[in-house]
Parts: sequence; C-alpha cells; structure tokens
Amino acid sequence: MKEQILQNLRNAIVECDIDQAIKASQAVLSAGISPLEAIQQGASKGLDIIGERFSAGEAYLPELILAGDAMKAVFDVLAKALAKEGKSKNAILGKVVIGTVSGDLHDIGKNIVGALLAVNGFEVYDIGIDVEPKTFVKKATELGASIIASSTLLTTSMPYQQDVVQYLEDSGQRDKYYYIVGGGPVTAEWARQIKADGHGYTATDAVEVCKRLAQSGQTPGTFEPIILEYYQG
Amino acid sequence: MSLRTEKILRSLDRAYTGPICTVKDWDTKVIPQTIRAKLKKYGLEKTCDMENPINCDDDLADQFYKAGYELALEIGMLNVDTERIIKIQEDELLDTLRHKPREITLGSGNDSVVLKYRRPEDPTPPLLAASLGIVVSEELYVPIVSGIVKYRELVDVLHGPSLSTVYGRKIRSGTPYETLMGRYETELRREALWRADRPGMAHTGVAGAVTQYGHLGGAASIGGPGNVTMALCPVELKTNFSVFHRIMMAINYGMRIRAGGFSYIGGYAGPPEGAALANVAVDLLIATILDSDYTSSYVYDIQLLGNCGRKALWANSVAIQAISRNTYLIRNKIVNETGGPCTDMFMYEAAVGLMNHCVSGASKTTQPRSAGGKFTDHLTPMECWWCGEVFKSCAGMTRKQANEIAKQVLPKYEEQLKNPPKGKSVLDCFDLQEMRPSPEYQQLYLDIRKELMDLGMPLDKVYNNVALAR
Repeated sequence: MKEQILQNLRNAIVECDIDQAIKASQAVLSAGISPLEAIQQGASKGLDIIGERFSAGEAYLPELILAGDAMKAVFDVLAKALAKEGKSKNAILGKVVIGTVSGDLHDIGKNIVGALLAVNGFEVYDIGIDVEPKTFVKKATELGASIIASSTLLTTSMPYQQDVVQYLEDSGQRDKYYYIVGGGPVTAEWARQIKADGHGYTATDAVEVCKRLAQSGQTPGTFEPIILEYYQG
Repeated sequence: MSLRTEKILRSLDRAYTGPICTVKDWDTKVIPQTIRAKLKKYGLEKTCDMENPINCDDDLADQFYKAGYELALEIGMLNVDTERIIKIQEDELLDTLRHKPREITLGSGNDSVVLKYRRPEDPTPPLLAASLGIVVSEELYVPIVSGIVKYRELVDVLHGPSLSTVYGRKIRSGTPYETLMGRYETELRREALWRADRPGMAHTGVAGAVTQYGHLGGAASIGGPGNVTMALCPVELKTNFSVFHRIMMAINYGMRIRAGGFSYIGGYAGPPEGAALANVAVDLLIATILDSDYTSSYVYDIQLLGNCGRKALWANSVAIQAISRNTYLIRNKIVNETGGPCTDMFMYEAAVGLMNHCVSGASKTTQPRSAGGKFTDHLTPMECWWCGEVFKSCAGMTRKQANEIAKQVLPKYEEQLKNPPKGKSVLDCFDLQEMRPSPEYQQLYLDIRKELMDLGMPLDKVYNNVALAR
C-alpha cells in the first residue's frame, strides 16, 4: 500500500496533475507515511523524471511549470506534518526569489530557471518581470528566502542587477542572501564584477549553482562566486 | 483616419474587450494544448527530420501552413497587459493575405533597396540588415558601423549595434538615459553612413532601444517611409502595450512596420514541430493584428541558446517554406550564431543558417549574432560581410542542394553548440583604420570560403569580385 501511494504521488507529479497530487498527499497522511519519505521517495522522483525528460528534449516548459505547481500542492498538504516531524528544512533545498529586473519585460528565461529550480527541490517564488531592485530584497525578507536570482535579456537592464547587490549592501543584508545572476548578455566577468555569488550559462547550470550555494554553508558575499560558464575565452 | 490607424485601433480595442485569459493559463495550457491538438489533427507530430535539416517536402510545408492558418484563427494573440485575447476573423486574415505589399522600397536615393517577397529556391537575392544589436563601446560605434556598411553589394540596411554607454553614462532601460540614447544613436548612425558614402541607407529603428522610450527618443531622426520601426512581441503568440507604443510611433512618423514574435523549441510550443507551427501562426497574426509591412519571426532552441542546431534548422526551414509557398508575405528571418568573431564556428553556423533561410524563401535577414550577442565589442564588419556573401549567393540554390551541404557542414560545429568559442573582440581581429580583417581572420575567411565552395556552396556566383577585393 505504501509503495502504491508513493507511486501515485510520483505519477501525479509526472502527469502535472494537481488534484491527484493533493489526493496522494492526503493518502500519505492517512496511511501514516513519513511526509519526508513521501517527498523524497515519491514526489521528488517524479520531478527527477520530468527534469530528465526536459534535458532530453522530451518534455517542455509547460510541463516543468505545472510539475512545479503540483509539487507546491504536495508541500502545502504535507507542510504541517513536516513541521511536526521537524523535517521542513530537509524537504527542500532552499527558498529562491526569482524575477526579471527593471526595464525588462522578458520572462521565458526566468520562467525556465524558476521551473527547473522547482523540479530540483527548491521552493520558488516568482516575483515577475520589470522588478525593482529593492523588491527582490523585500520579497526575500518577507518569504524567508535564502537565494535571490535575477534575470535579464537586456544589456541596458544589467545595471539593475548590480543595484540589487548595492541595495543588499546598503541595507546591511549582504550576508543574508546568496545572489545569482543570469540571462542572455550576462557573463562570468559581469557576475564577478558586481560581486554576485553565482552565475550559470544555461538554466541547468543555474540550478547546479543554487545547489552548490545552498549546500556550501558559506556566508553570502564572502567567497569567490560559483560560475558555470562555458564560453571559452 | 488612415486604414492602418483604423486597423491598429481595432486591435487595441480588442486588447481591452477580448476574452480574458491569464498569462499563466495561456503559457501552460492554451498554447501547448492547442498546438498539440493541431499537430495531431494534421499528422505533423514527429515529422522533424534530424537527418535532413533543410526540409525538401512541399506537402509537409503546406500541411504546416494549413495547420498554422487554423491555429491563428482559433487562438489569436494574448495582450499580457490586459490579459485579454486579441482574436481575428477569417475575412481579416484573408484581407491581410490579399493586400499586403509584395515589395517595399527601403532607404532613399542611391541607397534605396527593394525588399521583395520570395518563394523557396527563389533566384532573387534577399536583403541583409546588419548588425544585430551587439553592444559596442561608444568610441567604436561610428568606425564599426562605417565598416559594416562599406560594401553596397553585401549589406543593404542598417540595423546597427547597440551602444554600451551614452556620453559615458550607463544606459538603463526605461529611464531618461534610454530616451537620450535613442537620439544619440541615430546621430552616430547618420555620421557613420555619411563617412561610408551611404547617407540614404534605411534604418530599422534604434538598435539599442529595448523599450518604447529609446524608440521614441530616436524616431524623429529616422522617420519616413524608407525607414522601419521594430516591435518584438513576447514569446509565445503574445503582445503588450510596449509593442503597441512602437506601432503607434511608426504611424506618427510615417515609418514602415516590422514586427516579430519568436517561437522556442522546448518552450511553451513544445517540440520542433510545435515551434514551427507557432511560427507560421505568429507570422499570420502579426501581419493582421499589428498590420506589419513585414514580419521578423523565427524559431530558437532554448536548449542550445541559438538556432543553428538540427532541430531549429529544420523548424525554421519548414515554417519559412510554409508561408513562402502559400502567401506573399515578406519576412525577415534571423540566425542566432553562438560562436564569436574570428572563429570557424561562427562562419559555419552563419553559412548553414543563412543558406537555409535563403533557399526556404526568407526575404531579408538581420545579422550577425556573433557569440550570441553576449560580449561587448565582439562584433566586426567581417561577420556582417560574410553573412551578406553567404545569404545572397545562395539565391537560386535548390533546397536539396542546400540540405546536402548542411549535412556535411553540421558535423564540423554541432558538438560545440553547447560549448561555443567566444572568439575575439573587434580590436583583436579587425583593423578599423584600414577596414580590413586581421591576417589571421582573412586567412580563416579564405580557408572556410574555399572549403564551402568545394562542398558546392556557390560563393563565387554573385560576389566574387567583392570577395577578392577584400
């Protein structure tokens, strides 16, 4: 029975079916299964499958987004039980606030990164496009995030990525949040120049950067940034 | 009121009154579900042929057109600012297809060129606009642009690089810096064209303008029917008020309208077939809803961050052919190279991508996108000239010939698509005084040109004299 419930949970994520994800999560609670185990052996396995399919060109952005939504629904149902077990922190890799910076209305790059982060075990809060620097920080504070991620496709919006760091420093919060930057014109050199904590060339790289940051245990803003950038120079 | 104004106002009115749909529902449900259903209905699923990246099947292209036509009528475009769908009626689409101009004159005087509708395998050489918005230093802007437009036979229209600064200040999008940049860039463009003795060359808007502010800042200097505005829509099949601002600006300044919307493989439209289908639909919708004189839409691969891999080549070929075979719409089609200046990677990508666009029926391209447009000053006139030489020389080739060449060139670069070379900056591989590539770059050009000619690319057919003069 336990295996069947975990299988149902896995399938609900793979099928991007929020209703089934909620039902399977409720079944987890009714059957007295550890919510952490349900997430790790059920829902997360489903996310792995979606992530692998995306990398192989067999699943696409809508599936990533909807699977992330289904995962969020699972967390919502299991949240109380997880807290009771004292395992909330073990269930997710970290909370990420992600957005496209001021003056930029492009969203697809940010959406891909956000969706991939969600299917890789991060709790993601997408704060949209054309976001002011201070809003990134305020949202991160409000939501208790550990990582701030900013995206832009425009060279003329890149200065706003620097403004986020500046705001963090000026408000005395630079050591509270890891800050990663990405987008079409963003380079390793730029990430280093503005003293970001990380940068990835592709969306998959961004996820890897966030994983390494979340597991690093280092104080934000105090170490050499983690850069995954393949352009040879 | 002009007919154009009437059409745009009708679309704008619909942006306030059309059916409500959230952006999220549009992206994750409406687009993927509708596209999937159309692919199934028309038997287009899994038709992407990785072994033959340039489509040679007319029936397949025609099926994509039928499905894209139906998709356009069924789905419309979402205006993200009001979250309402702008739908069109079939008689409006038919009116677009009947009455769009089959040729347009761009520029003025001796520098004017005629942009024409082209069929697949058309012997009429297409036009090249250069460059594709790569950022360059303020002090290098004029010499680089003067070099880009040096050869009348290779570059027809000025799109131009983007400025890294305005009077030494960082340009922040959506601020007065951008508004000021709009005017400043047009002054530099004019100076460069005068230096190159091509003062009447057409402009396609302010290259560095990323919002309506930059466009409006420069519009007064580059208005009139010989010049073109640029309005790029959000992915997938969406528009917004920033796009409408730019269209209204074109109306106010009597400019031509170029509008585009991209389709991403792996994105909301799904597989290569879905992206190709969305691309057909967006060409039809933009021409109707935004009343563009010509469109600028293309397929891009989000896994490769470019469109020179097999999937994107195939999707672009079938989408371009679908429209070229069934309508008279004029289209600008872009190649997104990932290799940088002075690399064989860039030259191979440009050659294959532009040959594909040319034989499939594109009327114009905007090039180059060296190193994915990622690095400041990674743009030289040489890439622009190379793109012009390839794009125009391939006119009249058959798709079958082009496909055979593509199959031989692709293995030379496709393994590097996820790990492309950055190449060199303009000061490291091009002499802006003499307007010549460095000896190393010149030799690379000659070697690759010969290699491609040996494979059958007709690079000596039209522009041999220009090439030898270089």
